[in-house]
Amino acid sequence: MAKRTITEEFKKGLWAENAVLRLLLGMCPALAVTNSAINGLVMGLASTFVVVCSSTMVSTIRRLVPRQVRIPTYIVIIAGFVTLADLFLKAQFPAISKALGPYVPLIVVNCMIMSRAEFFASKHPLKPSMADALGTGLGFTGVLVVLGSIREILGFGSIFDIVIMTEEAFTPWVIMILPPGAFLSLGLMIGIINHFTELRKKRSGI
Amino acid sequence: MKEPSLKDTSLGMMLVLSSTAIIVGAVLAGFFQLVSAKIEANRLEEERRAIFAVIEGIECDECYEVITKDIEVDGKVKPFRIFRGHDMEGNTVGYSFIAEGPGFSAKIRMMVGLNVVPDTLSGLRVVEQIETPGLGDKITKEKFYSQFKGLSVKPEIEYVKNRKPEKANQIQAVTGATISSRAVVNAINKNIKVVLKALEEEEFKQSQIEEKF
Amino acid sequence: MNVVLVFLSAAIVNNLVLSYFLGICPFLGVSRRLDTAVNMGLATTFVMTLAAVITWLINNYILIPFDLPFLQNVTFIITIASLVQLVEMFIRKSSPPLYRSLGIYLPLITTNCAILGLTLFEALREYSLIESLFFGLGGGVGFTLALVLMAGMREELEFADVPKALQGAPMTLLIAGMLALAFMGFAGLLSV
Repeated sequence: MAKRTITEEFKKGLWAENAVLRLLLGMCPALAVTNSAINGLVMGLASTFVVVCSSTMVSTIRRLVPRQVRIPTYIVIIAGFVTLADLFLKAQFPAISKALGPYVPLIVVNCMIMSRAEFFASKHPLKPSMADALGTGLGFTGVLVVLGSIREILGFGSIFDIVIMTEEAFTPWVIMILPPGAFLSLGLMIGIINHFTELRKKRSGI
Repeated sequence: MKEPSLKDTSLGMMLVLSSTAIIVGAVLAGFFQLVSAKIEANRLEEERRAIFAVIEGIECDECYEVITKDIEVDGKVKPFRIFRGHDMEGNTVGYSFIAEGPGFSAKIRMMVGLNVVPDTLSGLRVVEQIETPGLGDKITKEKFYSQFKGLSVKPEIEYVKNRKPEKANQIQAVTGATISSRAVVNAINKNIKVVLKALEEEEFKQSQIEEKF
Repeated sequence: MNVVLVFLSAAIVNNLVLSYFLGICPFLGVSRRLDTAVNMGLATTFVMTLAAVITWLINNYILIPFDLPFLQNVTFIITIASLVQLVEMFIRKSSPPLYRSLGIYLPLITTNCAILGLTLFEALREYSLIESLFFGLGGGVGFTLALVLMAGMREELEFADVPKALQGAPMTLLIAGMLALAFMGFAGLLSV
C-alpha cells in the first residue's frame, strides 16, 4: 500500500471510501435514526466522537494488546466511549437522547467503528489513525444528515424542524418516515451515486 | 512481534483484558457520578413542566405538592404519586398523576390532569414514548392532547375511529395510530380508578383535619 | 403478558430487521444464497435466545440491585462476545458436523447489532424471565425469516436484468424496502 499523507487519510473517508455509501458499513444507524435531519446530525456526531476517541485509544495501546484478545479489548473500549456519549446526551440534550432511544447504545456494534479500530488504528501510529477516524466519522455524519433531510422534507414537509412545505400545499409522504422509506431512499441514493461515478469513469476513459 | 514478551502469555492476556475493563468501568462510574445529578434534574424538570401543562391555574412555581400512597396496580403494591396543584391561597385547582401502559413499540408514560371535581380530565402530556415516528408519535401533538381537556372519565374513556366523537367520554383515535391512541386510553382507564379512590380517602382525611380546627 | 404474543410480536409484527433496522449488515452480507441464510439464521437464533436469558439474569440480579444501569451496554456486549466464544468452543467439541455448517458464522454474530439491540429492548420493556426467553426466540425466528425471504428473492434476481448502477447493495436495499412495506401489513395486529 502506498504511503498516504495525513490529509489524504482524512479525505478518503469523506467520499472515496465513505463508510455507508462505499463500504456499506454502519447501515443500521444510517437507516434507523434518519427520520429527521437533526436526529441524523446528532447520531453522526456521536458516532464521530466514538470513532475518533476509540481509534486514538486503540492506536496508543496497539503495542500492548496481545493479538488473541484484541477484539474483546476494542469492544470494551468502544462500549466505554459509547456510554460516555450516551450519558452526555442524556444530561445535556434530554429531548434528542429520547428521540434516538436505544440507538445510541447501539453505536457499539456499528461495524464502521470496529473496522476503523481493527483495520487501521491497530496498525498505524496516532496521527494517521486520528485523521482516518475523523474523516470516516464526518463522512458518515454527512450521509446521515443528507438522508435525514431527504426523508424529513418528503415525510414531514420540513427540514431541521423548520416547515418549508405546509400540509395544504404538499401532502406529506408518511411512508418516507417509516421503515420502508429508509430502505428505498438509501437504495436509490447509492444507486444514483453509482450511476454518476460510472458516467464520470466512462467520460475520463474517452 | 519481535521479542516473545509477557503480553503473549495467557497471564498477559488476562492482565490486559481485565485492566481495560477495570479502567473503563472506573471512568464510567466517575462520569456517571458527575452527570447523574443533571440527568435527575432533567427528569424532575420535565415532570414539573408536565404538571404545569395539565393542571390549569397553578399560580406559583412551588404551588403543587406530592401525595404518595401505596396503591395496588397489576397485583403489585407500589408507592403511587398524585400531584395536587393549588393557587396562592392553597385552594386545590386540580390533580395529576402519571399513567403507564404498553404502547406499540414500548412503554408509554403520560401525565394526566384531573379537575377539582374529578369527573373530567383537565389535560394530558405524554412524557415518554418511542412510538413510530410520523404515525404513533402524533399522540404527542397538541391536536391529540386537546381532546382530553374536559373529557368525562365516567364510566370510562372510549375511543372512536374515523368519525367525530359523540359522547362526553369519547375521543377520536389518531388515524393510522389506533394502537398508540388505544394505549393512552387504556393506561388512563386502568389508573384512574385507583387514583379516584385514593383521592376520596385523601379528602376524607383533609376534612377530618379541618374539623379538628 | 402472554408469551405467545411476545413471540409473535418479535418474530413478525415488529420484525427486528425490517422495522427496527437491527442486523442489517448480515442481512445484506449473508443473504445471497438460501442455504447459508438458513444456517446463519439458526446460529443467530441460538445465540440470541441464550443472550436474552443471560443478560436478563445479569440485569436483574447484578446491575439493578447494585444501581449500575449505566454499565448495561458494556456488560451486555461482553456477555454476547463471550457467549459466542463459548458456543463456538462447545459446538466444535460436541458436534463437528454442526460446527462445519455453523462455525464460520459465529464470529460474525458478535457484531450483529440485532442481538445487542434485542437485549437493550428487553431491558427497556422490563420483560419477565419467561417473556425474555420468548422475546429472544421470537427475535431470532424473525431474523431468520427476513434473511431467508431475502435470500430467496436474491437467488431469483440472478436471472433478472438489473440496471448496472443498481446491482448489488442498492437493489438489495430496494427489495428490503418492499419487504418492509409488506411486513407493515402486520402492523397493528399485536402491540408490544
